[in-house]
Amino acid sequence: MAQLSGPEIKNSLRKLDYPLCAKEAIIKIGQLICNRVPSLKHMDLALDLMAELIFCEIDRRGNKRQTSLTSLDELQLLEILYDYLNSTHNETSRNAVFLSLFSGTTAMMRSNILSKLISVAIGIPAPCVLFSASVWMQQLGNTSLNSKQLAKSLINDYFILSPNSVPKLSLLPHIAPQFTANFLTAISNLYFNDVNKPSVTFPPINLLEAITLWVKDNSGLCIAAQQTQASLPPGAIAMEATTPIAGLLNWTIVAPLHNQHSELYGKLHLGLLNSILEIQPITPPRAISTAHLLQPFGKIVRYFIQYQKKYVDGEYIDKEKRLAENVDLQLSLDRYAQAIQVALSINCVYGNMEDFFYQLSQLPQNRLLHIVMRTHKLNK
Amino acid sequence: MSHPTIRNIQQPDVLLELKSFIGGAAHSTKPNHFELTKAALNLLKTLPAARDAVLEYFCTVFNMATQNFIIRIETEIATGQLPPVTEDDEAIISEIHSVICNFVSINAEAWAPIISTWSLELLGELSTRYAGRAHVSTSVNETLQLWMSCRSTRTLIDITTQCLSSHIHSDTEACINALLDTSVKHSPNFDWVVAHVGSCFPTTVITRVLSCGLKDFCQNKSYEQGCQSPKLKSVVGILGHLAGSHCEDIRTALLDLFNWSLEPLAFTDPKEYKLQKKATVPFLLQLAYLSSTILVAISKDIKKTLSLFVVAQLCRFIDDWCKYFGSPEALKEIIISLIIKCEVGGVQIINIFLDCISIENLSTSNEMKSNIQICAQEILENLLQEIDSLVRAQSQHPNAVINILDSFIREVDELNDILTSNQLKADTTSKIITFIGHSNPSVLVKSCTHLFRNATTNDHLNSLVYILTNELLDKTREPYCEKGGHFAIILNQVLTQAEEMPPDNSKEAVYLQIIKNLLILLRWEKSDQFPLLQSNIIWRAVHYNIINLTKLFGSKDYSITVHHALAELLDFLEIPSLDGHTSYPIPLQAVLNLTSGSVKFFFLCCSESDIQKFLGYGRIKNMLKRLVLHSKAAKMLALRQLLETALFSDNKTLFGAKTEMSSHCDDIEKLLLEQNRKNSKSIALTKNSSVLHGGVIGNGRKKSTSSTDLSKEVIADNTEQFLRTLKTCCTLPITDDNKSIDVSVDSLTSVSLLLVQFVSPDVMYNGLPWPEEEFCKVTIERDFYIRRLFNDTPLLWDLLTFVAMYRPTLCYCSVLLRAITATLIHQWNSIGDQTHLVDPLKYKSMLDTTTKVLDVMALGQLLPPPLSSIRDVIPCLKCSEIVQILRDCVWNYMRDNVPSPALFNCDSSGVVWRDPTTSRPPEVYTTTLRIIMQQNIETVGHLYCHMFIKIPSNE
Repeated sequence: MAQLSGPEIKNSLRKLDYPLCAKEAIIKIGQLICNRVPSLKHMDLALDLMAELIFCEIDRRGNKRQTSLTSLDELQLLEILYDYLNSTHNETSRNAVFLSLFSGTTAMMRSNILSKLISVAIGIPAPCVLFSASVWMQQLGNTSLNSKQLAKSLINDYFILSPNSVPKLSLLPHIAPQFTANFLTAISNLYFNDVNKPSVTFPPINLLEAITLWVKDNSGLCIAAQQTQASLPPGAIAMEATTPIAGLLNWTIVAPLHNQHSELYGKLHLGLLNSILEIQPITPPRAISTAHLLQPFGKIVRYFIQYQKKYVDGEYIDKEKRLAENVDLQLSLDRYAQAIQVALSINCVYGNMEDFFYQLSQLPQNRLLHIVMRTHKLNK
Repeated sequence: MSHPTIRNIQQPDVLLELKSFIGGAAHSTKPNHFELTKAALNLLKTLPAARDAVLEYFCTVFNMATQNFIIRIETEIATGQLPPVTEDDEAIISEIHSVICNFVSINAEAWAPIISTWSLELLGELSTRYAGRAHVSTSVNETLQLWMSCRSTRTLIDITTQCLSSHIHSDTEACINALLDTSVKHSPNFDWVVAHVGSCFPTTVITRVLSCGLKDFCQNKSYEQGCQSPKLKSVVGILGHLAGSHCEDIRTALLDLFNWSLEPLAFTDPKEYKLQKKATVPFLLQLAYLSSTILVAISKDIKKTLSLFVVAQLCRFIDDWCKYFGSPEALKEIIISLIIKCEVGGVQIINIFLDCISIENLSTSNEMKSNIQICAQEILENLLQEIDSLVRAQSQHPNAVINILDSFIREVDELNDILTSNQLKADTTSKIITFIGHSNPSVLVKSCTHLFRNATTNDHLNSLVYILTNELLDKTREPYCEKGGHFAIILNQVLTQAEEMPPDNSKEAVYLQIIKNLLILLRWEKSDQFPLLQSNIIWRAVHYNIINLTKLFGSKDYSITVHHALAELLDFLEIPSLDGHTSYPIPLQAVLNLTSGSVKFFFLCCSESDIQKFLGYGRIKNMLKRLVLHSKAAKMLALRQLLETALFSDNKTLFGAKTEMSSHCDDIEKLLLEQNRKNSKSIALTKNSSVLHGGVIGNGRKKSTSSTDLSKEVIADNTEQFLRTLKTCCTLPITDDNKSIDVSVDSLTSVSLLLVQFVSPDVMYNGLPWPEEEFCKVTIERDFYIRRLFNDTPLLWDLLTFVAMYRPTLCYCSVLLRAITATLIHQWNSIGDQTHLVDPLKYKSMLDTTTKVLDVMALGQLLPPPLSSIRDVIPCLKCSEIVQILRDCVWNYMRDNVPSPALFNCDSSGVVWRDPTTSRPPEVYTTTLRIIMQQNIETVGHLYCHMFIKIPSNE
C-alpha cells in the first residue's frame, strides 16, 4: 500500500466498475486515514478518492459530474459503506473514516446519503454505525444545521413515511444511547422553535410518543452522550455534547401556551424531571446551560404581552387575579419553576446564574416560581 | 455500550433482504422478478431509506410489463393472434399496486406526493418510449384506450388518481405541479394521462392547472417569453382536453380566477399574490390566444363578467399589462385579435365597449372616465377597421372564417336591440350589420327589418340607409337583385309582419310608423342631399311592394290617420307616372287598389271634420288624376265607385240624402227574397208589385224619412268636393290641342250612363227617345221610383247639373229626365189650382222639382230657347197651365226631337253645343206656351218679350 503512489492507486481503482470501485476505494481510504500519522498528502488522496470513486461527484479529471448516482447505485453504495463501517471494529478508525466521509466542505452535499445510511443503520439496526454517527453529530454540533437536517430526514423516514416501525424504535436508546441522545437534542431544536419561522411547528404525535417513552424508560438517556468519551482520530478536539434536557423542557413548558394539551407533554415533563434527578452531581456542572434553560423565557414573555394586549381596553380590575386565572400560563410557569427547582437542587446548571435569575424575575407572577426564587436567594 | 446484550441483537432479516434485493436488482442478469418484487415491497415497509431504489426498480418492472404488452399487440397486428398474457407480470403488478395503494390510503399526506411524482414520471417515460409503437396515435382518445388496456399503465394511472384523490383537499399543488412538469417534458405523448387524470378531478385539476400556470406565468417578464413558455402550452393542452366534457368547469375556474384577481390584496395574503393578481388578465389573454376553447369559455356571457364597475377596477392594472406586452399598442393588438377570434359573445363585447364609451354614472374620477372612453373608442374603431379589412379579404378567399362575424350572426337579436338605441351604438351596430351582410344578406335583411319597423327617429333611418347603401353589400346578388333590392324584401317583411299582428291600436301605430318612415326615406331620396340614395333603392322597393301598400289604402280596418299617411305616401310616389317613361310598370291590381282606396278615402275625408281633410282631397285628386289617365279600368272603377257610394251607401247622407228609418232592418232581407220570388214569376212592371214607394202592404204606410243632421254648409261642401273629384276622374291628358277643354266627354258619358244604370231600376225603356205620353202608364211605377230617388237624394240633381254642363252627355240621362217629367205631369194634373194655398209645401216642392228638371234640360241644351226659359214662367202659372206646358211644349218637343248627341255640333275649338239660332223649335211646340203667357201677360210680360220677341239670330 505504501509503495503505491496516489495516481497509481487511483488508476488501479478506476479500472473497476462502479459499485466495486467504491468498495475497494473505501478500504483504501481506511488505510490512508487510519495511518498512525496520516500525512496531508494521504488525506488529500483519500478525499479525492471519496469524491471521485465513492460519491461520484467528480470525474477523473476533477470536473463536476452532471449526472448523479441512480437510486439503485446509491443503495449499493449504502450497502458498501454500511458493510465497511460495520466490519471496522476499531472505533477510532471507524470514526475517523466516518468523519472524513461526511464532514468538512462536502458535508451538505453528502447529507442525503448520510441520512439514508443512518436510516438504514437504524432499520437494521447497526450500533457501530450509529455510534459513529453520534460522534459525527457531536463533532459538528448536535444542534448544528447538519444534525438538524439528519434528524429531519430520519423523522420523515420513520415517523412520517412508515409510522408502523415506531415500536421497533423503542429499542433505539438501548442499542445506541449516545446517538439517541444527540438525535434528541437535534430534534428538540426542530420544534417549538419559532426563530426565523412564520409559525411554530409541533412534533408529530408519534414522535412525541416515542420520545416520551424513551425519556421515561431511560432516565440516563439524556446525558448518555456526555457519559462516554468518543474515540477520535488523533489531533481531533472532542466537542462537548449538548444534552436534550433544556430543549425538551422547552417543549413541555411552551406547549400549554400553544394549546398543545396532550398529556404526553406532562409525561415527558415528568420523565425529564426524573432524568435530571438521576444526574450525578459533578463539578463543574455541565448538564444544563442557563442559556438553554432560558429558551422558554422569551416565549412566555411574548405570550404574556399578547395576552395583556387583549385586555388593554378592559377595566383595570385585579390584574393579578386575571393572571392567576390563565390556566395555560400558570401551567407553563409551574412547569418552568419545577424544572428550575429540580435542576438547581441537583446543581447541574452552569452559566451566568445572576443574569439567569434576573431574567426569571421578569416573568409573570407565579406562586411556585416565586417560592423557587426566594428559596434560591436564601440558599445563596 | 451500556447494554451490550441488546446491542448485539441483530436483525439479519432486514440486512439480508436488503442484500438480496441489491443482489437481484443490480447484479443479476436474469433476476426472478417475482421474488425481487416481494423483497422490494418488504424493504419499502421496513426500510424507508431504500424507497427511491425500490421505486426505481419498479420502474424497470413496469417498463418490462409494458414492453411485453406492446410486443403482444405488435404480434397481434402482424399475425392476427394475440399471445397469452405473462402471468408473472400480472401478479407482480397487482402486488405492487395493492401495496402502494395501501401506503397511500393509510398515510396519504406523506406518501401521495412521492408516489404520484414517481408514477407520473414513469408514465411519461413509458408513453414517450413506446409512442408510435403498436398504434398510430391520431387522437388522445385512441391513445388513452390503448394505454388503458395495458395492465401496467392502467395500474399507474390508478395509483396516480388515488394519490390525487386522497390528497386532493390538502395539498394538490405538488401533485398537479408534477403533472404539469411531466406534461411539459413528455408532451404530446403524455397528453392521454393528463386527459384521464383531468377528467377524474375536473374542478381541482382545472383550478390547480390554472394556478400553476399563473405562477409560472408570473416568472415571465415579457409577452414573447410568455408565448414560449412550455408550461403555458401544457396548461392550454390540458384545458383543451378537458374542454370537451368540462367546459362549464373551465369557465367557472377562469371566472373565479378573474374575480380573485380583482379582489383587493388582503393583509394576510402572501406577497406573491400581488404579482399574480396583476398577471392574471395577461395570463387569461394569453391562454385565450392559444386556445379557442378557453376563448369561448371566457367570452361566453362576458357582459356579466365585465360590468362597467369591473372595467373601472381593471384600470389600475393597465400600466402593468402594457409593460408586460411591451406597449399599449401591443396590448390593444392582442385584444383585438382575440375579439376577432371570438365565436360567442361578440355582441356582448361590442356592447361593453359601447357602454364604456358612453360611460356616465360611474363614481370614478373624470380623468379615469375619459381615459376609459378614449381607450374603448380607439379599440372599437380599430376592431371595426380590422373586421372590415378581413371582410374585404374574405371575398378573395371565400372559405376564410371570421369567427366574430359568426358570433354576431348567432346573436343578431341582441344586435337588433342595439340598433334602435342611441346614435353612437346604432352607428357601430350598423357597421357590424354591413359586415354580416357582405356574406349573409339574409341576416342583414332580418336586422334591417327590425330596424325599419322600430325606427322612430331620423337617426335610425340614417343607419338603415347607411347599411343599405354600404359598398360592402353586394347589390347584384340573387335573389335580392330580382326582387327589387334588399330594401324591397325588408319592406315586404315589415308589411307582412305588420299584417300578421292582431288588430288593435298598436298595429295601427306600427303601420303609421312604417308609412312615416317610408315617406321620410322617399323624401330623402328625392332630395339631392343624399347622394347615396341616387340609385332609387327606396323607390324601387316601394314599387315592388306597391300591391301590399295599396291594399292597405281604403281598408276599413284602419283609421283615418293611417289613411292620411298612406295618401301622403302614395301621392308622393306619383304613380302611375304620367310621363310614361317609367321603367317600372305598375301592376293593374295596384292601380285598382289605389283607385278604390282613393275613393274610399274620399268618403272618409268627407265624414271628417278636421281641416286635414282638405289636404286629403287634394291628394285624392292628384292620385285619381294620374290613375284615370293611366288606365281606363281605373277610371271606370273610380266613377262607378264614387257614384255608387255617394248615392246608395251609408255615405249618401253626407250629401244630404234622406235615409229610411231602419227600424225594420231585419225585414229587408225577407222582403227582398219575397220580391225576387215574385219577379221570377212574371215581369214585375206589368203587374202590381207588392212593393210600392208608399210602403209595403201589411206594414202600413212607410215611415217618414229622416234627414241627417249635417248642416247645409257641410253638405254643400261635400257635394262640391264630390263633384270636383268626379271631374278629376274625367280629366283629359294635357296636350297642346285641347287647352280649353279639360274634361273628357267620354268620361262624362260614362258618368251619365252610370247614373242611368244606378237610378233606373229597369233595363227596359231606358233608351233616349221619349215615347207618347200615353205610354207613361206602363212605366209609371218605375218613374215614381226614379222620382223618389231624386227627391231623397239631392246629389242626383247636382250630378245631373254636372252632366248637363258638358254637352251632349245629358242625352244619355234622357230616361231620368223623362221619368221626372212624366211624374210631374201626372202630379200637376192630379192636384187642384188651389193647392198652393191648401198645401203650400207640396206645391212648393213640386214647383221646385219642375224648375230643377227644366233647369237641367235647359243647361244641357235639350230644350232650346224659348223652351229653356219655361222654368222662369211656371211659378206664375196655374197648375193646369203648367200641365199643358209640360205636355205640349216639353214632352212633345222631346218626343219629336230625340235627345241624342246627333243634335249637337262640335265647333272648331272642340266645344260641343247646339246653336240656339239654328235649333229653334217649330211653332207647334211653342204655341201653347205663348198663348198661356199671353193670358198671363201681366205677370210674365217681361219674360215674354225676352222669349218670343227678342230672338237672337245668326245675323
